[in-house]
Amino acid sequence: MAKDTNGYNIIGKPMAMTDARAKVTGLGKYADDLSVPGMLIGKILHSPHAHARIRSIDTSQAEALAGVKVTATGEDARNPYGILPIGHDERAFALGKALYIGDNIAAVAATTPEVAERALDLIRVDYEQLPGWFDPEESMKASSNWINEERPQNIEKEYHHVFGDPEKGFGEADFIAEERYYAGEVNQAAMEPHATLAVWEPDNRLTVHSSTQVPFYLHRTIAAVCEMPMSQIRVIKPLIGGGFGGKSEIIPLEVAACVLAKKARKPVKITYTREEVFLAHRGRPITIVYLKVGLSRAGKITAVQARVIQDGGAYCGYGPVTVLYSGALLGAIYDIANVQYDGFRVLTNKPACGAMRGHGTVNVRFAFESILDQLSHQAGLDPLEVRRRNLLKAPCITANSLRVTSYGLPECIEKVFERSGWAEKKGNLPYGKGVGMACSHYVSGAANPIIRSNMPHTTVHIKIDRDAAVTVYTGASEIGQGSDTMQVQIAAEILGVSTDRIKLVAADTELTPIDLGSYSSRVTFMAGNACLNAAKDMRDQIVAAVARKFGCAADDFEVKDGRISHKSDAGKSLSFDEAVTVALEFHGALVARGTYAPPETARGGKFKGAGVGPSPAYSYSAQVAEVTVDPETGQVRVDKIVAAHDCGKALNPLTVEGQIEGSVYMGFGQALQEDMIWKDGRLMNPSLLEYRIPATKENPEIESIIVESIDPEGPFGAKEAGEGSLAATIPAIANAIFDAVGVRINSTPITPDKILDALREKQKLASGNGANAANKPVAAGGRL
Amino acid sequence: MNKELTHLRVNGEEREIAITPNRLLLDALREDLGLTGSKRGCDDSSCGCCAVLIDGTPMLSCVALAASYEGREITTVEGLGGPGELDPVQEGYAEMGGAQCGYCTPGFMIATKALLDRNPDPTMDEIREALSGNLCRCTGYMQIYESVKYAIEKLRAKSATQAPATR
Amino acid sequence: MTLPAFRVLQPRTVEDAVRMLDEHRSDAMVIAGGTDVIPNLQMRLFTPRVLVDVKPLRELAVIEFSARQGLHIGATATLTHILETPWMRDKFAVLASAIGTVAGPLQRNMGTIGGNLCLETRCRWYNQSHFWRQSLGGCLKKDGDICHVAPGGKFCWAAWSGDSAPAFLALDAELEIASLSGTRRVPLREFYKNDGMDRIALARNELLTAVHVPAHMAGRRGVYQKLRVRDSIDYPLAGVAVAMEVDSAGICKDARVALSAVNPAPMLVTQAGESLIGRKWSLELAERVAHAAIQTGKPLTTSGSTPVYRRDMVRVFTRRALEETWKNGHGSA
Repeated sequence: MAKDTNGYNIIGKPMAMTDARAKVTGLGKYADDLSVPGMLIGKILHSPHAHARIRSIDTSQAEALAGVKVTATGEDARNPYGILPIGHDERAFALGKALYIGDNIAAVAATTPEVAERALDLIRVDYEQLPGWFDPEESMKASSNWINEERPQNIEKEYHHVFGDPEKGFGEADFIAEERYYAGEVNQAAMEPHATLAVWEPDNRLTVHSSTQVPFYLHRTIAAVCEMPMSQIRVIKPLIGGGFGGKSEIIPLEVAACVLAKKARKPVKITYTREEVFLAHRGRPITIVYLKVGLSRAGKITAVQARVIQDGGAYCGYGPVTVLYSGALLGAIYDIANVQYDGFRVLTNKPACGAMRGHGTVNVRFAFESILDQLSHQAGLDPLEVRRRNLLKAPCITANSLRVTSYGLPECIEKVFERSGWAEKKGNLPYGKGVGMACSHYVSGAANPIIRSNMPHTTVHIKIDRDAAVTVYTGASEIGQGSDTMQVQIAAEILGVSTDRIKLVAADTELTPIDLGSYSSRVTFMAGNACLNAAKDMRDQIVAAVARKFGCAADDFEVKDGRISHKSDAGKSLSFDEAVTVALEFHGALVARGTYAPPETARGGKFKGAGVGPSPAYSYSAQVAEVTVDPETGQVRVDKIVAAHDCGKALNPLTVEGQIEGSVYMGFGQALQEDMIWKDGRLMNPSLLEYRIPATKENPEIESIIVESIDPEGPFGAKEAGEGSLAATIPAIANAIFDAVGVRINSTPITPDKILDALREKQKLASGNGANAANKPVAAGGRL
Repeated sequence: MNKELTHLRVNGEEREIAITPNRLLLDALREDLGLTGSKRGCDDSSCGCCAVLIDGTPMLSCVALAASYEGREITTVEGLGGPGELDPVQEGYAEMGGAQCGYCTPGFMIATKALLDRNPDPTMDEIREALSGNLCRCTGYMQIYESVKYAIEKLRAKSATQAPATR
Repeated sequence: MTLPAFRVLQPRTVEDAVRMLDEHRSDAMVIAGGTDVIPNLQMRLFTPRVLVDVKPLRELAVIEFSARQGLHIGATATLTHILETPWMRDKFAVLASAIGTVAGPLQRNMGTIGGNLCLETRCRWYNQSHFWRQSLGGCLKKDGDICHVAPGGKFCWAAWSGDSAPAFLALDAELEIASLSGTRRVPLREFYKNDGMDRIALARNELLTAVHVPAHMAGRRGVYQKLRVRDSIDYPLAGVAVAMEVDSAGICKDARVALSAVNPAPMLVTQAGESLIGRKWSLELAERVAHAAIQTGKPLTTSGSTPVYRRDMVRVFTRRALEETWKNGHGSA
């Protein structure tokens, strides 16, 4: 069912974000901008040891310091929590053992930050150090001294999936490649460090203002940790200075601030230093991918076998979901019948990893799209053409039971083929210059909620009263991606009014209904649909009243340009304000509601782990990167990236382009410069000086291209736009480097020293084995 | 540590605050003057979120001791223009997607303002250079450049209407 | 991160300043732009009781050139001020080239040349928060007795990580240093001690007031090549500065090559000048000097990237800097 893509007044037109003025005037408030009278400053004591038994903690000296109001340790809040129901292994403060350098041991609330810091130095902790596990492949061999006694061999979770007949598939292959890939660890590095203000109210309730992407999960967690009913807690999301998944689960400072506020019966604010952001981490884990792929002479992928090991850090976090996404999205972008996947989430004595932008898919995509490029060259085929030969035919169900309703990948590939000048450039550029291409895809929200229930994933309320203002109440969390604006657009479009008339109230658990949060790119699809349903409900109520007044059928009326008018009788028309009065007279109150839950058919297969991966719709991307490699220094300049993204329907092209470009940027950072450098569980670069997110001058020019496949179930056909592009960027750059200088670097970041090593290795092979070997590709970097 | 009375000239107004000698300008602005538009993003003068104009030059308020800037003209994002009278630079960042999460935006606008005050018609390289001390994690910088170009056009149109016709 | 408690003294004259330094000695630190000092204080690398704020000393912000006196840059001249001095790029190409690579424009608007010449040496085991260093038991340079870069050794390898110093070394600069007993001049090459812990020959009661470049250096061709990951913000992982006089026949009359970020001090490449003077350009010659450069540069694991790669780049950048200077005549007046 293709929907009308034209004739919209607001949908599909670029619109500045509704909160843009608050941001550019500096008047909008982020969590750390908030303060209330009598507010205390909280600071957290972190473990200096990677793995240690806590024998005792003495806070008495700290408590005696003038200005210190309260201290807290693990004994003050014993209930465990975690984002997944199967992974409640975190506590406000460590009980028994500290599991990584930076683990949360205790906290103080004091009148000033200086006093709080001094108080931390006065807390005496007696540790018994234990041997630490830092390398995931070593850690999973552990026979004793496990990080979590309930997780033997330090394996948090493992999954083993077989679809089709991989053995048969490899038998049919004319070319088989087998490689090891290694992706270094990266952090979201949102510009806003996390901050939480927990206010103990005079009526003994707790109000929490926090930099969170998931106010609803925070609400639940605070209730559990503080042993208070949810009804006594209010969570408010202020402006958020970027999330990218780093604020998509409960972050230690959030519970620490609440525990302190409850104990002190006073407001407490905690703001992380940049170093603490890195200690709380939740970024993308080190991922080791052993990948084997078979290709036929005709360019058809015959089988895929992947063994994936993720270095999860010391706590579960989103771990099992990450490793399942890696498996679910590995092959499902193409038409591949035979897939074997073995995924391991391993514990190490490091900060917990989490759900970073492109959750679970990015590192396996790097591996897959790289090996596909390699196989294409082995087979003497154009790698872009090989992608064309492995496309799905939507609508369809993939080998691993994912339902694909719309599939703009073919168009994405053709768009980047044209715009990049692929046909002229591929293989034809001088030595040192090259082009590479890769594809990616992503979910538009998870079809199955984290906490299984039959309730909707999101609900929107709309209220209109005598002022004829339309107020949309949504739980969806604006984190800079434009979710508020998207819902304002939808409500205005359906109600036929200008966006000025819509007032949106978002993410305040006291005022707004539930939305599960801004993660897994679910908001446009899910909150968008709920808003669409609520707006239609409201429109129908108004139209019903107007139709009754004129004695006509509701179907005779249309809502447009601020009027409710009879389609064929110009005399029967009311302005929106007049119509609201009529509707209030008829209905008494004008309240509308909309919900969204994914349909049963979108919820995936029945095998163990099948719950993660299914989505009501998938986005698709194709990218071409053009690079210049200096063969003498190994330095890479990415000259341009052409990125096409199928977002179903661009409700707001301005923000969709911003999301594509931001994703490409973040992929570029991981591809070439970002890396969390660990030495025995100690992060060597916990700062923005040393963790090098790209700045203006080295960042590539990005051309974003919107592809609209019009999904049958998306709001106005819309799907995901904020994450899917990231994963294609890394392999596109890696493949371009191969095109430029003939070496494949199988580990990220692709640093100049790795390229030089590979070039030297290649030269050595050439001089050792005669001239023919000079043209043979060399893989390097995967061996670490 | 004793507090000392310090006079700062911020956004055209004389302000008097009692602060300790180790008070950073960023904290004085945010906490003593309630001007929370300037942000802290790092702790090692590498991100530019805290940038303010000092006598028209963009500087990092997170490494400036407040008391050392007495008598200087300090302009924060709040001083660029209020909600009713946005500066063309603010308008550009609002309209063209230069502000996604908005956290780095005050620093970027300050750097942009300083650039365009001195060089109303910068090349792309000059824009990239002028913004190379600021980090943005959302935009990939492309829409920031569009925002700057919007401001350039707006300023050009403004100066064209203001300049008396001489021919 | 909070700052330690300190008083700030604001001298009105250089004499004032040195009197204050003399009075407070090891309790005092000089602050100017603050871009290096403030983060270091937040990390508690230092806990001075007194900061002497020399930034307002206008007499120290002067940038002048005369054919007799040569180049004079006062210690509190900002890096931006130097870069924007109209004749700087023509007269002192290597200096403009180097200063243009320092951090980003916001940092250069604040950072002063005095601060850049007196930077603390850097090491990733040292430039960390109080918590981070404590979790490790400190290092040789601060609060500990182990060097994590060269365990077992008693020498601190924290690297000189400034960009302007190698350029000034290539220009044979001198420093002007004031104290209560008057002013002394010291050749820049003698100022750096190549010791990560005790980096510069500046007593606690002395103030760096200016840097001088001899007049005959004006018009020298030169360039600075910097190894870094980002094209802004980053400090050098290796840096090579070349300044050279080439006659109309293409013969090198004088030349200096200096390195940064690969030793605890910025260093002149020994024998580089001797090898180059009187010679015409050739790739072999440049390679020979590049080889000498990697004898001088001894990068260790004090920063990102790998020591092997950084050493490699010292070689490549030296050759390229020589080639660019010699053949393209950058900065020839």
